Amino acid sequence: MIARVSDQFPWGPVRIRIESWRCCRLTDPARFEQDHVHHVYDAIAEHFSDTRYKGWPVVEDYIAALPIGSIVGDIGCGNGKYMGPYDHLAFLGCDRSGALMRIAHERGHDVQIADGLCLPYRSCVLDHALSIAVIHHFATPERRRAALAEIARVLRPGGTALVFAWALEQVSRKRAFAVQDNLVTWKTTARQSRKAANDRTASTYERFYHMFVQGELQALAAEVPALDVIRDGYDRDNWWVVVRRRA
Amino acid sequence: MRYFSLSATRVNTERLLTHNMLQCHVKNCRPNESFPLTIKDPELERTEAEFNPDFMRGLVPKLDWTALRKTAGALGLGDLPAEMPEATDEFLQMLHALVLETRVVSGSMVCDVCHHVFPITNGIPNMLLQADEV
Ligand SMILES: [Zn+2]
Repeated sequence: MIARVSDQFPWGPVRIRIESWRCCRLTDPARFEQDHVHHVYDAIAEHFSDTRYKGWPVVEDYIAALPIGSIVGDIGCGNGKYMGPYDHLAFLGCDRSGALMRIAHERGHDVQIADGLCLPYRSCVLDHALSIAVIHHFATPERRRAALAEIARVLRPGGTALVFAWALEQVSRKRAFAVQDNLVTWKTTARQSRKAANDRTASTYERFYHMFVQGELQALAAEVPALDVIRDGYDRDNWWVVVRRRA
Repeated sequence: MRYFSLSATRVNTERLLTHNMLQCHVKNCRPNESFPLTIKDPELERTEAEFNPDFMRGLVPKLDWTALRKTAGALGLGDLPAEMPEATDEFLQMLHALVLETRVVSGSMVCDVCHHVFPITNGIPNMLLQADEV
């Protein structure tokens, strides 16, 4: 069941919509993700990007340790905040959101609009990959596993990927989440949408998140035959794993 | 030690390096036969990037030489030898200019097997497929 996290609406109308979300999420997950992930990111891209400039240390340490000449794919790269530019790495990035890709491109990154379940890269072509705050947006366990399997396909044997996903166990948030599948509101105020000259209105959007419980990300990665989990941890309200493609 | 340096001015629009990594992923297409995607109506741009021989040496074995040779020839960027030459500094500099400094600003990439067209707009390839193509 999907709980709705909002302090803005009364419970009455919400309960009716919970039913329709639940049906759609399980019967037509692709459509559900379109409504509750892709369209939202396209709509909030600019405001979202303005809030995404500070990198997480675990990610930056992982990138800093990659050997010179590595081809690195940031799968679900958003505004490209982890893509450098670096002198010693060849970074490619892709994301489902065309609006975010235009922002990443303006920042000088080499990016493609692509679907995480059907990546446009040759098999075994990446030395390393990032999947930062991406797979929690897929609506079902099958699709989250398929997203990891697709990353495994494009990694070379021995190549590694760092995967971050939002945790149910959140230490830094005031509000606890009761269930794993949530619609989380994103509010843009009139002030925040200042860059869009015609848009002076405040808007509320809802993004779908599957929040991982302890051990779940490791178990999901272990279900992908080509992958071994070689490191894992918890950082800033997220579970993370480093996976390696088997030789 | 930090290997990397940050610079704000670097432009990394679709490089030929990236083109060398992309393939047709339409369901039931034969990516091995259709690779590389044919670049149609390209608007090319050359932007200077800093040459780093160690980086290039690391990159060389990851390139598909046959595909790069075909693409360079089709774009009129020069005739590459059939076999990849030895990694001399001169060769690495040529390769650097070809795969890191040569960029496709607009045009499209076409699959020679299933004829799917992947448009490149403002330097961004759109690799999304319709639901019935996945
Ligand atoms: Zn094809």
